[in-house]
Amino acid sequence: MKRFSQLALPYIVWAALMLVLPMALIAFYSITQQGNSIISFTLTLEHYAKFFTDPDFLLILWRSLVIAFKTTVICLLLGYPAAYFISRCGERNQNLLVLCVTIPMWINMLVRTYAWIGLLSEGGLFQHILSFFGLGDVELLYTEGAVLLGMVYNFLPFMILQINTSLCKMDHSLLEAGADLGANPVQIFRRITLPLSLPGVINGITLVFLPAVSSFFIPKLLGGGQYFLIGNLIENQFITVGEWNFGSAISMIMAVVMMLLMVVVRKVEIRNQGGKEE
Amino acid sequence: MKKGKRPIGKILMILMIVFFYLPILYMIIFSFNEGKSLTSFTGFSLRWYKHMLESRDMVESLYTTFSIALIATAISTIVGTISAIGLSKSRKIVRDVMEQVDNLPIMNPEIVTAIGFMLLFITFRISKGYVTMLLAHIAFCIPYVILSVMPKIRALDPNLADAAMDLGATPFQALTKVIVPQITPGIVSGALIAFTMSVDDFIISYFVTGSGIKNLSIMVYTMSKRVNPSINALSTLVVVIITVVLVIINVAPIVLSKREKKAEIGKHRFVVRAILAAGLLAIVILAVNLREKATARPFEGQTLYIYNWGEYTGENVIPDFEEATGATVVMENFDSNEQMYIKVANGEAYDILVPSDYMIQRLIEEDYLQKLDQSKLDGMDNLVDAVKGLPYDPKNEYSVPYFWGTAGIVYDKTKVDEEDLEQQGFNIFLNEKYKGDIYLYDSERDSFMMALKALGYSMNTENEQELQEAYEWLVQCVQTMDPEIVTDEIIDNMAQGRKALGLIYSGDAAYVMCENEDMGFYLPESGTNVWSDAMVIPANAKNPDLAHEFINYICSYEGAYDNSSYVGYTSANQEVMDELSGEGGDYEGINAYIPRTGYEKDEVFVYNADTKKILGNLWSKVKIAASNAK
Repeated sequence: MKRFSQLALPYIVWAALMLVLPMALIAFYSITQQGNSIISFTLTLEHYAKFFTDPDFLLILWRSLVIAFKTTVICLLLGYPAAYFISRCGERNQNLLVLCVTIPMWINMLVRTYAWIGLLSEGGLFQHILSFFGLGDVELLYTEGAVLLGMVYNFLPFMILQINTSLCKMDHSLLEAGADLGANPVQIFRRITLPLSLPGVINGITLVFLPAVSSFFIPKLLGGGQYFLIGNLIENQFITVGEWNFGSAISMIMAVVMMLLMVVVRKVEIRNQGGKEE
Repeated sequence: MKKGKRPIGKILMILMIVFFYLPILYMIIFSFNEGKSLTSFTGFSLRWYKHMLESRDMVESLYTTFSIALIATAISTIVGTISAIGLSKSRKIVRDVMEQVDNLPIMNPEIVTAIGFMLLFITFRISKGYVTMLLAHIAFCIPYVILSVMPKIRALDPNLADAAMDLGATPFQALTKVIVPQITPGIVSGALIAFTMSVDDFIISYFVTGSGIKNLSIMVYTMSKRVNPSINALSTLVVVIITVVLVIINVAPIVLSKREKKAEIGKHRFVVRAILAAGLLAIVILAVNLREKATARPFEGQTLYIYNWGEYTGENVIPDFEEATGATVVMENFDSNEQMYIKVANGEAYDILVPSDYMIQRLIEEDYLQKLDQSKLDGMDNLVDAVKGLPYDPKNEYSVPYFWGTAGIVYDKTKVDEEDLEQQGFNIFLNEKYKGDIYLYDSERDSFMMALKALGYSMNTENEQELQEAYEWLVQCVQTMDPEIVTDEIIDNMAQGRKALGLIYSGDAAYVMCENEDMGFYLPESGTNVWSDAMVIPANAKNPDLAHEFINYICSYEGAYDNSSYVGYTSANQEVMDELSGEGGDYEGINAYIPRTGYEKDEVFVYNADTKKILGNLWSKVKIAASNAK
């Protein structure tokens, strides 16, 4: 039996090269000077200092976190009821609905985002609908609302699928037991369904929040060039400015911020589960 | 719990489905639109499908997307499963460490993972292209497979394999006949996740691609600046492929199971579906790829790698050149000189680049270019004198002009008072009368040119005080005028009269004015930038002979005419320029087509490393200020 453990060896080598080494390189670039090679280099913290001493950069980071937070909240508010409804359907409908939520993900993310440009642009369908209600001439494309919409549209399926999975795993006899013991539907939801679906909610939050913070093409396509988030800042450093060391430092900062946030979210999860057992 | 009436849930679900599918439906409908507009449907037509199928880039992007997804899924499923089995039998410490390592691509923002891969390939000088994209996809797919296979393995009886081997099975048999069948659902869902992640990916592919390899998302990203309904046609094709595959894998097992023993198929249902799906996609890919042909021509079978601006070649230039030479052209596009420079400086090999004046100067100074072989060039005499022998390359030893022009103000004659233009010049961009009605161009060079000229300075100034003033001018503009900062989006938007005015290159203005006669083009008296873009051959070019051939073709009447009449930029070929701007020409009476020459306040950009760095940083900060002002 032990001999099967050797099967993992090639992957351990691969993972060291393809997963660990790239992260190490980002860390390395972030603390060396522009133009250094991996053979001769000078260590420096100037890139981190540059980021943290400039309020503009901090504001960008803050705004990226805020818009990702908004996206996550909206996805949760829309996604939970949808997942709940799907989990209550018969098996056949359930599979069909899950498929309906999954298909858009197979149609590439860029394509899905691009599709909104026509709908939101001037003279497009949404403006016609709005002007029908007497709200003509509201600018839709290239606004923060458009960016938010694009993010919710792209990431909502992740939330629904995660929550749905954990709702489906739930033991339904628990609900019946709760009802038999005199709990009303609201109590059943609050005391049984919600806590049991929490792992799905946490996974959903992770899967929405992470890409929402770092996305740079949604702001670019739907927000226009004047809509600049942390992802755009990083892309810009690597693709047009060419300051890779500074870009690497921003990437490191973002990775650390995300890691801290995820630790907090996991803590909430653990505390909640602890509370439930009391 | 009772099932049945849940009106609120149903309504919510219906709205949700509408939300998910409305954009896709909208896209499908507009792929059949006769006109170019994305907002008004003018009639049914298949022209965008024709356009798409004729564009090799688009068809190839489909091939790249699906072939990478299939190969990455297959490899990562197999490797992921085997590794998961191995890891489950490893020591706890190894398992725990590997779990954290696997989490790296899952728990990191995608852009961080992407940059990691990019730095890896560049640091170790692995030339970017199809293989690097595939490697990256495999690398981020395997952790997902392990993640979904692992719980199934944990649920297995740990003695299962031993029992099988005690009964005489070899370890291989124990693995394939006992363990794998037990964890098949986990493997299948892992494969599905891997496929989804790969097809859906943009960010990682974008950072690790090279050599002109584009998948669907890179294609859409680079083309999305101009209105191009072929993207809708391409997307519709993807929707159709996915739907057909889905229908067949859902229907086929049912049909098959009616013919054969139900139990037998039931067991292999997943496998049958997976194989069917993979087979179908493989057929599509093959069909796309089997379109090669061969006859004897001078450069038969050779490849020319061009790195050019987006939307900068005539519709027939590349096909005609390929037809004449037998070579295959791979074209990659950039948005800015800076973007191009970074790739070239990192050793990516192209045969032809088309940078602007100051960038050519920089490339020459830094030894990235090779001298042209004048004996192989035959088109220099055809070119306009004003674009030959410019300061960046006085003897044209390195470069042959492609297009040239100026940068000026495109304005809507019905909205903008021409007196304002004449009195204020570029300062009209600070005139609050036009607040919310202007476009800025997302280029550090041109934006600072505008600001410096508005302030009465030279656009090549090295004086930090003047640069600082220009920076403040731009910050004032983005904070008080609510501009949109765009690149090529300005072209179609101004052609449709969306805003009152914007900074634009003369060639784009010529196109806009042809499309919409309300539009005008104004060159401020404070002077502007006279630029030229020229073809150069990098020092590391793999096929300089073919590159010279291409330069000759672009200089010839045929190539130059096709280019200029399609793109709208001023041809460097004298005959073509005269013909297009003369009586009956495409650009008759369009002032933007003929660049202003001999005006003393107009300048040509000069490269200066220090200024460049300052400008790059300041421009990032202007954009941040614009974003934070919202």
